[in-house]
Amino acid sequence: MRLGVLCSRVRVEEKLIFKALQDRGVEGDRIDANSITLGLSGSLDGYDAVLVRCLSHSRALYASKLLGDNGTRTINDHAVIATCGDKLLTSVALAKRGVPTPRTKVAFTAPAALDVIEEMGYPVVLKPLNGSWGRLLAKINDRDAAETILEHKHTLGGYHHSIFYIQEYIEKPGRDIRSFVVGGVVRAAIYRHSSHWITNTARGGQATDCPITPEIAQISSVAAEAVGGGVVAVDLVETADGRLLVLEVNHTPEFRNSIEPTGVDIAGLIVDYAVEVADMESER
Amino acid sequence: MKLAVLCSRVRVEEKVILKALQERDLQYDRLDERKLVLCLQNGQLSHEYDAIWCRAISHTRALYALSVLEAWGSKVVNSHSVVRTCGDKVLTTMALIREGVPTPRTVVALSADAALTAIEGLGYPVVLKPVVGSWGRLLSRVNDRETAEAVVAHKDALGGPLHRIFYIQEYVDKPSRDIRTMVVGDEVVYGMYRRSEHWITNTARGGEALPCQVTDELRDLSLEAARAVGGGILAVDILETPDGGLLVNEVNDTPEFHGAMQAVDVDIPGKMIDYILKQV
Repeated sequence: MRLGVLCSRVRVEEKLIFKALQDRGVEGDRIDANSITLGLSGSLDGYDAVLVRCLSHSRALYASKLLGDNGTRTINDHAVIATCGDKLLTSVALAKRGVPTPRTKVAFTAPAALDVIEEMGYPVVLKPLNGSWGRLLAKINDRDAAETILEHKHTLGGYHHSIFYIQEYIEKPGRDIRSFVVGGVVRAAIYRHSSHWITNTARGGQATDCPITPEIAQISSVAAEAVGGGVVAVDLVETADGRLLVLEVNHTPEFRNSIEPTGVDIAGLIVDYAVEVADMESER
Repeated sequence: MKLAVLCSRVRVEEKVILKALQERDLQYDRLDERKLVLCLQNGQLSHEYDAIWCRAISHTRALYALSVLEAWGSKVVNSHSVVRTCGDKVLTTMALIREGVPTPRTVVALSADAALTAIEGLGYPVVLKPVVGSWGRLLSRVNDRETAEAVVAHKDALGGPLHRIFYIQEYVDKPSRDIRTMVVGDEVVYGMYRRSEHWITNTARGGEALPCQVTDELRDLSLEAARAVGGGILAVDILETPDGGLLVNEVNDTPEFHGAMQAVDVDIPGKMIDYILKQV
């Protein structure tokens, strides 16, 4: 049994994953995404499964496609990466499974987006369809802001800035929740506290342990299943009236700030899951 | 006397300009700046024409065409230095301030982080403007910190070094209109209001052109502003403050005037041609 870990930059997370592989005596190689070349058929022999830990979503997307189609299982698989890497596809997948999410609409031009925003009422949040670490999220409090942000997005151009993803702003209690789901089971959860509405730990949000209530366990596992399972992090927000809504699902979660507060060996869990998948593959 | 008119797209303005040149039987060539190949060594074009009137829409093209043509001794209208100053809002504002022309309070920041500090320092609402740009494009009125963060992040993401120069100005609470005057040489040839319910009053953005009487105050301020940037054929944008003062907002080096053609009874291209003939 042999596991590949596809990544370019080795962050804290990947270091922990390599250490977990070592600790378990699992044969694992780092596959450098910067130098890998993939054919359209029959490539990367010798791996029972590949753990995809690319920083770049598009690399993860296409590498998982080529590997998966040629019989190398990836974790996550291509469908999960494709869905989670696109906020619109995530929202649709969640809605289809009846997972509660904030009201969301999509428009294809700036004028249509302005209509949607005015109809939804302020504040709203505009999010790029793909992007991480809270980058280019915009909380829109009035029409002046809507007009100029839409114009800037339009000028940014490109595929994902010309689809306008518009969501009601959820007033949250100075925190949101991120739960880690591995193979269908919620294994850890943190609160991300921040006085800023963007709570990403990459943006200064502080992580503390969040007890996994039955509600959190339930909504997280359904959300993970809705996007196709695997190893994902589910972002949840608590509404003023005590409900939980799923904001997004992440396919290559960072977790360095979640280990200490939760006491959960997230890297170990990911490796155990990957080994399980690889074992199943090698037995086939 | 032979004139070259530098322009690519012929807008309403260029149409009436070319028509006026024909009616006066003036010798001219229309040169599309997109097709120009400027030889830096021999200054060929500069020897063929007595004057070059630049009506290029692209500021960058105008700037570089004029830099070569003027260096080879052409009489160019407007001059390279005027186009350079007016095409960049930082340079315009500095030119105005240097000559004591009243203008809104403005700060410049050179990074996203510094921009947020600058905005918070100036106090809301503020206006962010691209240092280079026209027709009210990518102007932002920023009313709160969350908008400031989003706008600054988006400008940073736009890429290009110029979007990372943050030009931040106090918002002037003007009476649903601003004033545009046209200066040609030493004369203010007309004034007009640009009326709009939107804070961006550009006629390209739906602002309505209405005649505005050129008072002595308006005339003096317009001429001072035009002189401050180097003079020529210039449109001066002026804001009325709540306490009755006037502030010069910008000065435009290749002004459109289709709105004014409807609103005021002045032979605008005629005035411009007279000025150019006087230069050669």
